[in-house]
Amino acid sequence: MSLAITQGLDNTVERPGERAPLVLGDSTYHSITESVSQIAERPPSKAWVVGLMVSAALASWFGICIAYLIYTGVGVWGNNSPVFWGWPIVNFVFWVGIGHAGTLISAILYLFRQDWRTSINRAAEAMTIFAVVCAATFPGIHVGRAWLAFWLAPYPSLNLWVWPQFRSPLLWDVFAVSTYGTVSLLFWYMGMIPDLATFRDRSRNKWRRMAYGILSLGWSGSSRHWMRYEKAYALLAALAAPLVLSVHTIVSFDFAVSQVPGWHTTIFPPYFVAGAIFSGFAMVLTLMVPARSIFSLEKLITVRHLDNMCKIILATGTIVGLAYGTEFFIAWYGQVTEEKFAFINRAFGPYWWAYWTMITCNVISPQLFWFKANRTIPWRIVVISIFVNIGMWFERFVIVITSLSRDYLPSSWAYFSPTWVDWSMLIGSFGLFFTLFLLFCRFMPVINMAEVKATLAGQLHHSQHGDI
Amino acid sequence: MTDTQEKKLHGVYAEFDAVDTLLAACRRVRDAGYTRTDAYTPFPVHGIEKALGIRPTALPWIVLGCGLTGSAIGICMQVWMNGINYPYIISGKPFYSIPAFIPVTFELTILLSAFGAFFGMLALNRLPKFSNPVFTSPRFDRATDDKFFLYIDASDPRFDHNGVTRLLGDIGGTEIQDVYEDNSSTRVPTAIKVAFGVLAFLAIVPLLAVARMRVTNSPNPRFHVFYDMDFSPAKGPQTTSTLFADGRAMRPDVPGTVAVGQFDEDPNFYTGVDLDELARRDQTRAVHLVRTMQVPEAEAAPASGDQPAAETPWLAKNPRPVSLALLERGRMQFEIYCATCHGNDGRGRGLVTARAQQILSSAWVQPSSLHQETLYQDVYPDGKLFSVISNGIRKMGGYGSQISVRDRWAVVAYVRALQLSQNAALEDLPVNRRNDLSRRKAEVEQQLAEQAEAERRRAEEAAGTTTAPAAEEAAPAPAETPAEAAAPAPVTPEQPAATEPAPAPATEAAPAEPAPAADAEMEAAATPAAEPAPATEPAPATEPAPATEPEPATEPAPAAEPAPAPASEPEPTPSPEPAPATEPAPEPAPATEPEPAAEPEPEPAPATEPQPETEPASEPEADAEPAEEPAAAS
Repeated sequence: MSLAITQGLDNTVERPGERAPLVLGDSTYHSITESVSQIAERPPSKAWVVGLMVSAALASWFGICIAYLIYTGVGVWGNNSPVFWGWPIVNFVFWVGIGHAGTLISAILYLFRQDWRTSINRAAEAMTIFAVVCAATFPGIHVGRAWLAFWLAPYPSLNLWVWPQFRSPLLWDVFAVSTYGTVSLLFWYMGMIPDLATFRDRSRNKWRRMAYGILSLGWSGSSRHWMRYEKAYALLAALAAPLVLSVHTIVSFDFAVSQVPGWHTTIFPPYFVAGAIFSGFAMVLTLMVPARSIFSLEKLITVRHLDNMCKIILATGTIVGLAYGTEFFIAWYGQVTEEKFAFINRAFGPYWWAYWTMITCNVISPQLFWFKANRTIPWRIVVISIFVNIGMWFERFVIVITSLSRDYLPSSWAYFSPTWVDWSMLIGSFGLFFTLFLLFCRFMPVINMAEVKATLAGQLHHSQHGDI
Repeated sequence: MTDTQEKKLHGVYAEFDAVDTLLAACRRVRDAGYTRTDAYTPFPVHGIEKALGIRPTALPWIVLGCGLTGSAIGICMQVWMNGINYPYIISGKPFYSIPAFIPVTFELTILLSAFGAFFGMLALNRLPKFSNPVFTSPRFDRATDDKFFLYIDASDPRFDHNGVTRLLGDIGGTEIQDVYEDNSSTRVPTAIKVAFGVLAFLAIVPLLAVARMRVTNSPNPRFHVFYDMDFSPAKGPQTTSTLFADGRAMRPDVPGTVAVGQFDEDPNFYTGVDLDELARRDQTRAVHLVRTMQVPEAEAAPASGDQPAAETPWLAKNPRPVSLALLERGRMQFEIYCATCHGNDGRGRGLVTARAQQILSSAWVQPSSLHQETLYQDVYPDGKLFSVISNGIRKMGGYGSQISVRDRWAVVAYVRALQLSQNAALEDLPVNRRNDLSRRKAEVEQQLAEQAEAERRRAEEAAGTTTAPAAEEAAPAPAETPAEAAAPAPVTPEQPAATEPAPAPATEAAPAEPAPAADAEMEAAATPAAEPAPATEPAPATEPAPATEPEPATEPAPAAEPAPAPASEPEPTPSPEPAPATEPAPEPAPATEPEPAAEPEPEPAPATEPQPETEPASEPEADAEPAEEPAAAS
């Protein structure tokens, strides 16, 4: 019953009256199952083993650094007056931003019925979870006495019945990030249940079958279950969509509600959200383009998928560039001396190199996606997306460090210098991220098979009607 | 086969290859009247709810309920924690600052809704359910891969094994198979049991340890994982530290820095001592003085001990250039900090002293009068006076922490002026001022004589109609002229009549009043010339007098007499304000009278008379003020 679709079709071309196919080749339901399951069933490739060893080593180093930090104290970081929010917060905001693409793809694109999301949403959601894990680590250790981090919870601490201060954006942040992490995890896990059932049913090994059997909660594929499942999925998507927008909005409140020049601006919420989507999509591309070729998923993650994501990066990158310009305009238009100084200092002060790195990577490099060749040739996509990731890290660096290092009181100005622990933790957090992602690729369904099959069913349905 | 026959039949399924055939088959099965049916598909098939007759789910209502619960928990939690149980005052926001509570409320709404959606879906689907009869059929594994299964349950009222099998074959189903109850063992493998047992034991160990520690006593101190984090090594003054090479916890100033309040280009200015001279005489003391920037009391008062090094080279002269502004500043500081004990005139009879005398306090040491000759500038250098103000002497505490260095020098300058004013002869005044003063003295004397005469006459007459002659004296002169000058008086709105005579006595009283008010100030002589000044004063002064004195309402004549009495009463307490206190005397009577008394004309006259009396009356009580008058006048 499979319907062959032209193998070499360029599905980035729009044909009038036709939907561009999102599943290529002579794919069938079974071939989709095969191509995704074989990743988890075959022995791991050498590239995967090497990658896991390297990233696990870095993740271990991250753990050692955290132990060293907790044992010694936060003085091992470069944080010092006046830059008390150093790299830990830069890394936190960076990782939280990365974590926005997954749920955005799952929720918002789902609500807009963008079928192309089905091939990429699983990996993007996984990436979201792992990015939130990395992000949550930093404020947890940044509190200094990490063993007392539970005081962030609404708990009457110190035996004095002192509650958390709910008018502080920092506490909103605790709720926002933890809610986001939880809901993303539920969303991700719920989306995986049918695919874990597929893995379970394909397992011939007793232990493997038991593990996937427990994880899939006894999913049978019953139509009644599917109906409630789809309803729950739609509700979760509708809940997660405003949640995605709220999380980075609240993260931006950490800055915008303060009075530090360069932070105290109302543009921060939309600007942070656009930046988060921008960086999140860049990270998805950075991961997916190599993964698609390593795991031979070109038929499922097609050039059209990459093309679409590049367009989103182009759009959000332009929004981010506009936000940079607006910030400067408002600094001039508002005529607040400190604010004006803060922005001139960003661009031409001691951190000029960070600012212009940010501008180059975030504003100029995504503009290359206007050219179709850059959107369809995988290695170019990877290069540009890595540039965007670098640029977005520098954006957080510029916001956090330059604003704090020179605020109202010139006598307290100082230049921030990271220590080896700062560097180790930045690199180590990437190690943790890639470790988790590689493990996910090996043991979990990388692509949402059920949804891709549904997309294929729709595609078959349409092409049948086209034929008739 | 015998094995399967022993088991109970659970249902029958048929396999399909494609969505369209499955949907068609579902419709057929539904139309045949079967209700306990289900389809198993690898992905959600749209339209199958209708084809099978599946009712919509109540899940959205569950999610709504959870969401509302989340909102309620969020808002109640925050209001209770931050507004009721432990009210936080944060940047003046209200305790129920709803806008600031929105983000957390929103997040909790989403969180609980998401829990509702996920766990509600699982609950409605009765998941997790690890044992399912359909899983016993090997072909059924493909339900999660690429095949579609239509299932008819054996419990369906219309279920008939043969009929169902035939129907499923008719509607295009392949691989029609029976499904039996799953009788396989549900026993958990031993390895897993062992693993869980070990994990549970390990997990319970810390809890048991905690529980044991809570019920037992230990003589050992509390265990601290990170001792220096629980007890930060904050160093006190005069302690050692291993952090610095010199071993001192207190750090010296960074070279070139100036601590707040320590901008001392000239250390002499801060000590009142000529340090160069001191260094020549006693190097150790000079170094100590520069370090501490204050002179110990023993050194400030060398009289207490006759050490050989006791001779301190005090600055003879105030380093701040004396100006009117400096004296004014000094007077302000003096009256704030010094006058309570030393008195406004510096004679050691301030409020505290007066009170101490009143209660016969034995502990109170009479403050020194500042007008002793031993405290004059030629024998008591300015620097020493500065040091006494800074560090105190005998029973007097130091005011260095309260009065700034510059203000202390201003106080020194003012004290010198006070000394001068209280001990000056007429020849000390400039020539042009002497004449003023002589004229004023004459005026005052004449005035006193007149008033004494008036009083005497009035006392002679009976209490009845004495007002008429008295009115002739004072009333005629000011009758017209002060009508407009009376502008300040209407401040007390009741008595237009009272304002008319007011200016007349005002001019007379003027010389007497401002003089004490201006204390020892040399300019005091200049102020009496300005009549309007006293004229304006009565307005505020009128209020206290009638307030304290309810009697005046009764009768004009007696009213005039008690007036001096209340007027003199306020004086002992606010000693610096005899001037306004004397003036209200004329007013209180008329101020309250106009309403009861139809003709206010005569009243002002007696009102003016008592005024001179107030002055003599006040003299014996508060002799500080009148004492200045003769001094200034003579």
